[in-house]
Amino acid sequence: MSKRLASGLGAVLALAAVFAVWVVGSAAAGKAACGTVVLNEQAWAGSTANTYVAKYVLEKNFGCTVKVTQITEIPVYQAMASGKVDAVLEDWQHVAQYKQFVTKQKTVVLVGSNGLQGHIGWFIPKYLLKQYPQFKTWKGLKGKETVFKSPESGSQGMFLGGDPSYEQKDTQLIQALGLNFKHVTVGAEPAEVARFTQTIKQHKPVIFYWWTPQYLNKNLDLAEVKLPARFKGCQHDASAGGNVKQYRCAYATYPLEKLFSKKFATSGSPAVSFLRKWRWPSNVDQNYVANLIAGQHMDPAKAAETWIKAHPAFVKTWLGK
Amino acid sequence: MSVAGEVIVRAPAIDHRPWWRGRLVQCASVVALMYVAYRVWNLQYPWPAWLEWNSLGGYLDNFQVWLSDSRNAANPSFVFSIFNGFSSFLEHLVTWLNTLLLDLTWVGTTAAFVLIELRFGGARAALGVLAAFASFALMGLWEPSMETLALMLAAVGLSLLVGVPMGVLAGRSDRFLRAITPVLDAAQIVPAFAYLLPVVILFSVGPAAAVITTMIYAVPPAVRITALGIRGVAKNTVEAAEALGSTERQVLTKVQMPLARRMLLLGVNQTILFALSMVVIAGLIGGGGLGAVVTNGLYSNPALAILAGFAIVIMAIALDRGTEAIADRTDPVRRHLTDAKRRRLRLLTLATAFAIVTIVAVSRSLGAGTLYGGRTAQDWLLAQVQSALDYVQNPSAFLFSVTEPAGNFLIEHVLLPLQQFLVETPWLVTLAGLTAIAFVLSGLRPALTTFAMLASIGVLGMWEPAMDTLSQVLVATLITVTIGFALGVWAAESRIVSRVLRPVNDVLQTLPQLVYIIPFVYLMPVSIVPGIVASVLYAFPVVERLVERGVRDVAPDAVEAAGAFGATRRQTLVKVKVPLAGDAIMLGVNQGIIMVLAVVVIGGLVGSGGLGYLVAQGLQRGEFGLGVIASLAILALGIALDRVTQGTRRARKVGDER
Repeated sequence: MSKRLASGLGAVLALAAVFAVWVVGSAAAGKAACGTVVLNEQAWAGSTANTYVAKYVLEKNFGCTVKVTQITEIPVYQAMASGKVDAVLEDWQHVAQYKQFVTKQKTVVLVGSNGLQGHIGWFIPKYLLKQYPQFKTWKGLKGKETVFKSPESGSQGMFLGGDPSYEQKDTQLIQALGLNFKHVTVGAEPAEVARFTQTIKQHKPVIFYWWTPQYLNKNLDLAEVKLPARFKGCQHDASAGGNVKQYRCAYATYPLEKLFSKKFATSGSPAVSFLRKWRWPSNVDQNYVANLIAGQHMDPAKAAETWIKAHPAFVKTWLGK
Repeated sequence: MSVAGEVIVRAPAIDHRPWWRGRLVQCASVVALMYVAYRVWNLQYPWPAWLEWNSLGGYLDNFQVWLSDSRNAANPSFVFSIFNGFSSFLEHLVTWLNTLLLDLTWVGTTAAFVLIELRFGGARAALGVLAAFASFALMGLWEPSMETLALMLAAVGLSLLVGVPMGVLAGRSDRFLRAITPVLDAAQIVPAFAYLLPVVILFSVGPAAAVITTMIYAVPPAVRITALGIRGVAKNTVEAAEALGSTERQVLTKVQMPLARRMLLLGVNQTILFALSMVVIAGLIGGGGLGAVVTNGLYSNPALAILAGFAIVIMAIALDRGTEAIADRTDPVRRHLTDAKRRRLRLLTLATAFAIVTIVAVSRSLGAGTLYGGRTAQDWLLAQVQSALDYVQNPSAFLFSVTEPAGNFLIEHVLLPLQQFLVETPWLVTLAGLTAIAFVLSGLRPALTTFAMLASIGVLGMWEPAMDTLSQVLVATLITVTIGFALGVWAAESRIVSRVLRPVNDVLQTLPQLVYIIPFVYLMPVSIVPGIVASVLYAFPVVERLVERGVRDVAPDAVEAAGAFGATRRQTLVKVKVPLAGDAIMLGVNQGIIMVLAVVVIGGLVGSGGLGYLVAQGLQRGEFGLGVIASLAILALGIALDRVTQGTRRARKVGDER
């Protein structure tokens, strides 16, 4: 490198250093009452809704500075363990992680439900029920699988499987129920949405792995296929292995959990007690906000504000007044 | 052997083999035998359970748990403090850069980059930088862009800092090159999803983990291309320098590095593009920035994801062209400075620095940091992208009536039969058949490697998903090589094509695949096809680039000689240029395979199933062992395919010399 270049860069770097000092100086003069709260937002719209509703109240009522991170589901446990993320407001029962981080390491704290009921199941568009009312339960599917035939399922019916990150046991379930379905993995959630919405728009038959709460359900008009009742010892995820018979039951319905990092939970910040109380009245409310964000592409902060302004009474219960 | 004898046994220019000894014929007969076995015993002999080693996954899971437990213990071992120190260094570096970029205000940052580029890279390049920064602001993505820019400046800088010296070493020592090549292969093929968890445990989430993950992928091209450049310097030049009494260091800094300058620049270019292609993955572990906008956008606002994807592309192109222009202008070979000129340049540097300070000070005092809105342009752009998406997502549109049947045809008549053939043929037949094909194509050693790799895939318990993935990789590689070769030759012959292709290649190498492949799923709502499209689009640019460079760099005297003999342009191309560029072309094929395998996980996310799906499952559901094992299987496929294609190159060379 030539001397001129070096001196030029040197001059620029020196200036940069001066600015850096200035920056650090001006940043130090912030608010101190609540401090900074780090909330983690996951990719799906419901999680965005949680995060921005909580953020709005934390900022308006407690004067907190809220930082939003976007770390994917499993690594976020390590992030909480090392104190980089304070809270996750929606966790779909990662039981193995609970065992490791909550019970054994005690670096993450379970703080109860966020008010939502998560439920996984087999779904079909409602219009199919007009022609085949028997599809209300799995028994009605038997012998009628070819209704769901597609070029890639050969002589069988096609079942669209779920996102690799979600718990599922459909291959085992199909086998245990003796149904003639070919289980097709469609990939991540947006890809699954692409697959079944195209079919639904064409009013064709389709059956797929899906769940509530999900904002799309509001516009899609889906019906759930009833699966056999749950029994004791019934498995809900294929990773458990073993005989297919123990999978012959519906998926569980379970509360979606809030998680705090140990560091945050014991910090004594006013944000802790608020987030402990924070919860949705019902799945409908989260779907409403999520639909504003993802369906109508509203700015998340504005969507959160819309819901909060419309539900002052409920917000009061979060504040403990 | 006597000299005369050698003349007699020399093979004729065209080898007259009996037809049944042709490589293609032999391969076809092996495939035919396999097909017979498939028809007779399909699905009757899957990989036997007694040949599977099932406990590896458990060990790996235990290791991961142990690592996490000891990391998060009340008093972690001092080993972790090394990682802590390293990660806090990286984190401070990136955060500092980021705050700096934001606090200079958008006017100030833009002015700083544009003026620096103007001073060192010239007016054209500065205009490009200005356009890039203006587009970040207009797209309403200023803050995430700066976050990503800070991350990438750190990651690219450190990758070069690590990669170039390693490349120099590998260029000068055969032993080092041999030792490091498998590591580089692994770093490029093993999907990031497989090592994100350990990286996160060791470096925690945030910019540090993001930089490390990016570096793992971006260092290999820096090493490889630097080594290639150093090796490309003519031996007699180096010997001449040594004869004149140059020290080893002088040979390196005064002869080898300057002469390899063009190749080193290609290394910088590829490092930038590879690093920028990791933005989305870095976003999953706290890299934030545009990566996070893309990921969240895929779920709730695809148009925004596309916009952010293009911001990444624009950043890649701006960084690449910017550094290229600076390198060109400061090339000592091309500029001859007088003292007067030198003085003027020094003054210009000072003026630039002064102008930057003034602009920053003024814009800060006017509060430009908070004044900036930029939303209107974003809304307009989003509306445009959205209307395109609406068309794509509308099944009654004309386009869909073409793409849907095409997708159905491909899956029903091409991809599924091939997949079934490889998955359902008895395992012993497949193993023997693929080994035999490797033997026919490239000889004994590659065949043994192929056998070992396939067998270990089976032992790892990944036979079925691996055969599924192999069927897709074969199709994707075939298309990739065909497109890449054809375009590469065309671009070498035509400046215009080359000029058009370069930005297209840049876009395809850095635009996050999911951004365009999810809309593609709406057009072809079937499995496997979208995954193949994604891997072809990601992989062919590399093949194209290497083929183009190879054909263009064919020694001009060979071309002139052909011209003197009255060869037509076509003859010169087919009989002289392409054969002489054989090495570069085969390297292109190799890189093509590696790139196809590098995006197997993306395929898993859009319905390709197989190993890619398992790797994604491994990360996203905390099944570390599963993810690692599936990645090892991908690596094994890669090694086998690589050795076979490299072997064909060697086999051909031996044939030439005979």
